[in-house]
Amino acid sequence: MDIIKKPSWHISENEVTDEALFNKRRDFLKLGAASIVLTTTVMEQLSAVETTKRDPLKFKKTSFGKDLNINDFNQASTYNNFYEFSLKKSEPAKLAHTLNPSPWDIEIGGEVEKPFTLSMEEIIKSYPLQERIYRFRCVEGWAMVVPWIGFSLSHIIKLAKPNSKAKFVKFTTLFDPKQFPDQAKGMFGNIPYPYVEGLRMDEAMNDLTILSVGMYGKTLPKQNGAPLRLIVPWKYGFKSIKSIVKIEFVQEQPINTWNAISSKEYGFYANVNPQVDHPRWSQARERKLGSFFKQKTLMFNGYEKEVANMYKDMDLRKFI
Amino acid sequence: MIKKIVLNLIFLSPLVYMLYGLQSAVDPIKYIYIHTGSTAIVMLILTLCITPLRKVKNLVKYRRFVGLYTFFYAFLHFINFFVLDAELSVAFVIKQTLDKPFVYLGMISFVVLLFMSITSTRKLFKKYRTWHNGVYLVLGIITIHASMAQKVLSAVEYFYIFMAVILIGHRAFKSKWISRFFANFLQKRVKTA
Ligand code: HEM
Repeated sequence: MDIIKKPSWHISENEVTDEALFNKRRDFLKLGAASIVLTTTVMEQLSAVETTKRDPLKFKKTSFGKDLNINDFNQASTYNNFYEFSLKKSEPAKLAHTLNPSPWDIEIGGEVEKPFTLSMEEIIKSYPLQERIYRFRCVEGWAMVVPWIGFSLSHIIKLAKPNSKAKFVKFTTLFDPKQFPDQAKGMFGNIPYPYVEGLRMDEAMNDLTILSVGMYGKTLPKQNGAPLRLIVPWKYGFKSIKSIVKIEFVQEQPINTWNAISSKEYGFYANVNPQVDHPRWSQARERKLGSFFKQKTLMFNGYEKEVANMYKDMDLRKFI
Repeated sequence: MIKKIVLNLIFLSPLVYMLYGLQSAVDPIKYIYIHTGSTAIVMLILTLCITPLRKVKNLVKYRRFVGLYTFFYAFLHFINFFVLDAELSVAFVIKQTLDKPFVYLGMISFVVLLFMSITSTRKLFKKYRTWHNGVYLVLGIITIHASMAQKVLSAVEYFYIFMAVILIGHRAFKSKWISRFFANFLQKRVKTA
């Protein structure tokens, strides 16, 4: 296979004997430099694709989001906030090869009948996978539409049989400095680890809330939170915790990572709300990936019908 | 003449680089913010390094040139805000400027840089010379602005902060006003002692 594509103007060596060109060897050197730049970008693209080698999944299509305009796989898999790898969004796609998503176990515990462990294989076998096309809105102001593949979180909750003390569900990302380079930096890491998120029980049971194992027809790319991540489409993206190893049922509201970092800016609920600004920027409009033009942000990210009643008695300016 | 062309090409290269990457930018508006903003702050730091380093290498005759390029990139940054981010809505610009410290810090800096660029001609510079010390104010608040643009700080922001402290510290140390203040302060202490 010809891995390095030659640009259309590429000059092969035996053509260079032309005298005029020989005299213009300076120009030729510049062309050479340009082609090096081009090949490195091609190589970068290739390496990005390579870290995302993915297995096809069997799943059912659903009507969720069938009218939405899906973003390219490339956009969704090369623009990632995954601080365990890097602060830069283009980096996780290049660095995530250190993450090893199989074998992978998920511990389930806390206020449940009996704590237990599930392996990824069991999970994929036990639950019928569905494709759900959802809007995804980052608290930073960008947005995309992604065809996730997963199953309802409520399946796991029913399996775990939480007792009456369980009021919240707490999720934890893997802590392993060998797989997540930034976790090896101790107190100089980008954020405190392991990453923690949480949902109120009714939010966790909502039909929209899924655990995702794949996107765009195949398993999740590592940089998108393989092998298992949460998707809560009416909340800002940071709620959709990646690479989950622990699901616990707890009495008290968990302190989610971004809330711990800056409670004035990031709350526990983090519901998408165009009327409540982030202290530093407006949330009224959003930048859909790949577009030069902004679009309106929708209340609860367009899922008002499905979720608004859960918050009807709450002051959404206070409970950010 | 050739030197001038080469210099201009060097200072325009960040723009060329940005335009080249723009075709494949996933989040174009953010991409333009990052590139124009970072280029502007780096050029601002370069401009302000010229004075303290003039004994090592005297580049003072290029100070205005680098300063004007700082403004050029700040202007592109502002245009990104006004045209793509605000979609030409003056109401949005005003509201954000009044509401968000992050934005008004940027706006104050932009206005000061605009003023300095206009008054950078030989004639006007003579008249407004002392006003040009405002550039140190710009450095201070734009360092805060750039830091506020991040969710968490990284090495780049620590570098900006470090440079800002050094350059403003150096300027303050040289300032007549401050040295007079210290002299008075010491004198009083000596007298009361
Ligand atoms: C006209 C007023 C200004 C406005 C409205 C403005 C707005 C912004 C916005 C919205 C961002 C962040 C975008 C994002 O990350 O989502 C930003 C970042 C930044 N701005 Fe400005 N800005 C202004 C003036 C300036 C000036 C004059 C400078 C430099 C001399 C500057 C330097 C920067 C830098 C360095 C960043 C950080 C880029 C990064 O994320 O690495 N800004 N600005």
